[in-house]
Amino acid sequence: MIEARGLTKRYGDVVAVDDVSFQIGKGEVVGFLGPNGAGKTTTMRMLTGFVPPTDGTAVIAGHDIFTDPIAARRAIGYLPETPPLYPEMTVESYVAYVAKINDVARGKRKPAVARALERCGLADVRRRVIGTLSKGYRQRVGLAQAIVHVPPVLILDEPTVGLDPIQVREIRQLISDLASPEQGESQHTVVLSTHILPEVEAICRRVILVNEGRKVIDKPLSELTAGGMTLDEVFVREIMKEAPAEQAAS
Amino acid sequence: MRHIADVAGRELRGLFVSPVAYGILSLFSVLAGIFFIVTLSAFSEWVLRLQQMQAIEALAQANLNDGMIAMFYQSMGVVLLFLIPGITMSLFASEKTNGTQELLLTSPLTIWDIVLGKFLAGAIFTTLLVAIVAAYPAVLWIYGNPGPELGKTISGLLGLLLVSWTYVSIGAFASSLTRSQVLAFLLTFVILLMMMFMPAIADLGVAGTSEARDFFRYLSADVHLDQLVRGLVDTKDLAYFAVMIGTFLVFTKTAVESVRWR
Repeated sequence: MIEARGLTKRYGDVVAVDDVSFQIGKGEVVGFLGPNGAGKTTTMRMLTGFVPPTDGTAVIAGHDIFTDPIAARRAIGYLPETPPLYPEMTVESYVAYVAKINDVARGKRKPAVARALERCGLADVRRRVIGTLSKGYRQRVGLAQAIVHVPPVLILDEPTVGLDPIQVREIRQLISDLASPEQGESQHTVVLSTHILPEVEAICRRVILVNEGRKVIDKPLSELTAGGMTLDEVFVREIMKEAPAEQAAS
Repeated sequence: MRHIADVAGRELRGLFVSPVAYGILSLFSVLAGIFFIVTLSAFSEWVLRLQQMQAIEALAQANLNDGMIAMFYQSMGVVLLFLIPGITMSLFASEKTNGTQELLLTSPLTIWDIVLGKFLAGAIFTTLLVAIVAAYPAVLWIYGNPGPELGKTISGLLGLLLVSWTYVSIGAFASSLTRSQVLAFLLTFVILLMMMFMPAIADLGVAGTSEARDFFRYLSADVHLDQLVRGLVDTKDLAYFAVMIGTFLVFTKTAVESVRWR
């Protein structure tokens, strides 16, 4: 579903993402992990077509992001770090607008919007103006926006940052539900970026760990924690491995 | 290109839920009313004086179009210069502060969908403003005897319409450069003012050669508006507006796209 081939992003001399490759199959739920500034957001922005890679490319649901960008973007539902909302719009009209610009056919728009609102628990607030909603609800609107066109690929950038514990649980439950759909619904491939480890343990079956722009680990979660170590310990060990080398260099 | 209308529709709805659109519409209506009354009473006073002086020849030449409507249109052109930056300042700047720029650029829209959609929204709004202006000569048309000359009146309105669309394209460009609406407003305002003063600058003699002077004059929207207000529909003037709008839309497209290669 997602194939990244040597994704690289340089900003002048700074290398934000360095030759990252991976393949993610249909229906997989992958945790994209790393400390702050590791290049998670940049990688996701390259996958979603927001910024082009300096080097390398990616293929989303069979569409190359360079040669077929429109189709690649259509195949993705994307929730950026801050949900991209128009504060003056109502929840329903906003989600309907996103459906429209994502080429959901006119006749299918209404049920698609209703379904997205239903799944994200927004049916009761659908006539509310987004600007008046709480942070947790805004995050849900962000999710509803990402799933309204039933994209094969869902890319979520730190979907639970800044929420209270109850909201965090609700959003995680929601993401789990999206990954294992009800009958008759198409399955989403989910990439979830985060630095919150319990989140990964709760939702994901596979982990890609990036540090300083490079891919460090790419393994199923079960394999990582097989040696009796918690994900927490694995994470710290991998990150610290890099540190001495860096000190020697400077 | 199929999504231009979608983007424009959202933009217009966004404008009309905020008080800014209504504020500008009412302010514009009030100003249009004031300028209409002022120019009309000045005209009738002038005609009265000509009658007292029995200046038959001048009276025969006096007409509503040249004596009043021209002045009215030109004043409204200046009012547009002040108000349009208030409409266009949010076009792109607010997308950046909302984070919705990321939504637009990661959805299956082309940059032209976004740019033309926003321009269309702005152009529809200013068309509404020009429609308000049109109501006043319509009053003269209904109650005046003789009323204004239809061709001239309409070509002047066309001029105002083209001026307003030009201002929208410039405002859209300014808005695409910054995330601050205030800055977008000021930048648009400065560019429009500079354009307005172009003929004055040209006449100061700093321009040097007469070709340079003509060029500076050509850049000013007012000069071309004048021609249309006088009823002279010339391709040279129409081409000016097309070139200006086209150029600034291309600039805007480049600016919006620039997040991709920055």
